[in-house]
Amino acid sequence: MGEKDIYRHDVIVIGGGLSGLRAAIEACDCGADVAVVSKVYPLRSHSVAAQGGINAALGNSPEAKNDTWEKHAFDTIRGSVYLADQDAVEVLCRQAPETVLELEHWGTVFSRDHEGKIAQRPFGGADVPRTCYAADRTGHNLMNTLFEQASYRGITFHNEYFVTSLVVDEEICRGCIALNLRSGKVHAFNSSSLILATGGYGMIYDHSTNSLINTGDGMALAINAGAQLKDMEFVQFHPTTLYGSNILISEGARGEGAYLVNSEGDRFMARYAPQSMELAPRDIVARSIMKEIKAGRGFKDGYVHLDLRHLGADIIKERLPGIRQIAMDFAGLDPVEVPIPVQPGQHYSMGGIDVNIDGETGVKGLYAVGECACISVHGANRLGGNSLLDTLVFGRRTGRKACSESNDGHVPILKEVMTREIQRLQDLINNKGEGFAPLMSEIKKTMFDRFGIFRDEADMNEGLRSLNDLGQRYKQVSVKGSGKAFNQSLIRVLELGYMVDTAEAVALSAIERKESRGSHFRTDFPDRSDDLYLKHTIISTDDKLQRSIDFSPVKLGLFPVKGDNYQ
Amino acid sequence: MIVRIQRGKGERFDDYDIEVNAGMTLLELLFRIQENIDQTLAFRYSCRGAICGSCAILANRRPVLACKTTLSRVTNLKIDDHVTLPSSAKLPDGGILLEPIPKLPVIRDLVVDWEPFFNEYRKLEPVLKNSDHPEKEHLLGKDKSRELEKYTNCILCALCWSACPVVSEVDGYPGPAALAKLFRFYLDPREPKSTKRLSVADNEAGWWACDFYSNCKKVCPKGVPPNVAIGRARKLLEDEEVEK
Repeated sequence: MGEKDIYRHDVIVIGGGLSGLRAAIEACDCGADVAVVSKVYPLRSHSVAAQGGINAALGNSPEAKNDTWEKHAFDTIRGSVYLADQDAVEVLCRQAPETVLELEHWGTVFSRDHEGKIAQRPFGGADVPRTCYAADRTGHNLMNTLFEQASYRGITFHNEYFVTSLVVDEEICRGCIALNLRSGKVHAFNSSSLILATGGYGMIYDHSTNSLINTGDGMALAINAGAQLKDMEFVQFHPTTLYGSNILISEGARGEGAYLVNSEGDRFMARYAPQSMELAPRDIVARSIMKEIKAGRGFKDGYVHLDLRHLGADIIKERLPGIRQIAMDFAGLDPVEVPIPVQPGQHYSMGGIDVNIDGETGVKGLYAVGECACISVHGANRLGGNSLLDTLVFGRRTGRKACSESNDGHVPILKEVMTREIQRLQDLINNKGEGFAPLMSEIKKTMFDRFGIFRDEADMNEGLRSLNDLGQRYKQVSVKGSGKAFNQSLIRVLELGYMVDTAEAVALSAIERKESRGSHFRTDFPDRSDDLYLKHTIISTDDKLQRSIDFSPVKLGLFPVKGDNYQ
Repeated sequence: MIVRIQRGKGERFDDYDIEVNAGMTLLELLFRIQENIDQTLAFRYSCRGAICGSCAILANRRPVLACKTTLSRVTNLKIDDHVTLPSSAKLPDGGILLEPIPKLPVIRDLVVDWEPFFNEYRKLEPVLKNSDHPEKEHLLGKDKSRELEKYTNCILCALCWSACPVVSEVDGYPGPAALAKLFRFYLDPREPKSTKRLSVADNEAGWWACDFYSNCKKVCPKGVPPNVAIGRARKLLEDEEVEK
């Protein structure tokens, strides 16, 4: 099979998860020549791990007969602690029903109610049952449907190509440089539009639910290419991850009625959110669990119980078969019989590459969508069931916008950057310093300890110093692996570089925001301050390649800002 | 414990003497080796929660997902619990032997080329072919969605492909996962019957090639039963209930 040095496509999508595939399908349907470039086979993307569901005001449930997109929007904005941009939330929630129906028409087997309609379950922070689901394997099912649709359309997949840099010339993105994992050869990809859909950065944290491939690649590529990062301090900690392995235990479990119980046998959420109880937004539930553990009411090594037993075997087997399997496979227990040990873990990035509602970054020809992007629809805290929706609604919009772009091949700059990248990779391989593993574990520990669920100035400053030190050490890090094919130590060294850049952005933003809002909780500034901080944090790169921080206004307009608290 | 791993394109085996605990998963073991002893070791991974299908390998000659298989399970597995495949390599005494899954070309170490597996999958055009897009969702009975779910649970990890003797015996056999996927679309009432899903594989190298070893179901990490799908498809075609 002959391989070209330079590939050319109208639209190149980096990442083959839900956002990437949805964008690719839309651009293809608009008539563009589209390729998906991914460091894994698309079905190995993290989207498959999403469990609980996707929100849309279908009004199928009897308790949700009068549900509307406006109610969905209100819940989303309130959950975001008013930091979400309300024009973007309007798009998200208005287009939710048609988006879910589109996937149903394309083949997703959603779970059904007794009338045969798409079933809907309650989720945290929502007024009524609004979350559509395919048992507790919603991401897996949506991913297979989109992969089927994309493959059938003949979209090109460059699988197992690792993107090492974007090519930007005169402030226009011309494509990217990527390493073919299989051959070890470096290629240039030329595009009129390039869409980043690379997902989150969970690997910069200890105790993350994310896949091991989630190393913040797109965010790092974007900030180094002149785009900006927004609201990076907002890191979602999911309240219920399996103790030990931190595999996600879906909010769907609490949606179906599971209890959170401490070591004294109390449903402790009564202390923190007596009305919403287990279905308060994730930031509140995660902090409540940590407070219980800190007060000595957790179980020995720092966890609480998620008790499903009263739901009965039938409900558990029908609606939560996936988490039952996870508990059996990874904790050796059956939730029909015993409670599941759970603890909060890093789960999602509300922040990301700053884009508008069409996915455009500040760099012409460069787009971003999904978890790597920040539009923003999640603000300071994302509601469960809104991220799958975000990927599909904005995947479609971004794909459509991206195929309206056209520019020439501009090959000289591609060749030049490719030559530079080949040299950079060779230099990395020639480095004689330490290996990647200790640096990776230090980043994870630093981020979890210093930029975790509870934060304060002194801790974070100490954390930033550690990160700066790690950044210096990274310059000498060595690739101890060899060979061209699947040189995984080279890949992991490159991923570590992305992790360093992403972690720094989270740290800088978290230090700058001297208030508590949503997932960003500061013990030294425990109150929310709309006067000072009802605004987005923006990170840019200056001429000397230093990061600088600034703010931008939140777009309001649908609902007035309120100081209410969840009960 | 001695962990013996097939290396390169199969030209050698390397032994690693490594401290382990029985509750560790094979994937954790592989990372421990890569991060502490030998950075040249290559293997695939992603979700580490048995939903992405990346980490199919042979452990003591049994096809498993590395992420959900603990060392104690590998050493305690009884033969009749699972499927054991032939291999020329020797098991280390009391240790663990790790090899790439068979019936796919090896790229490096435990990494195989998935293309032959996905090519067969793609040939069957696994996509819902319907032209009606009603204003609301198609109504679907709970029983129907449950029946479909049995097959939509497939994560395309290729363990069944590697365990199926017919895959290497019959040229052009789509393999268990692809046939189960084809049957899933046959079952889907949202697709018009005129699509003739079953006839696509109504030939010697298709439904009729299966010898019902049922290894596919035994090794499936998600409980998908391709053997049942194939049996039902054959019965339907025999009874001429469909598509003739």
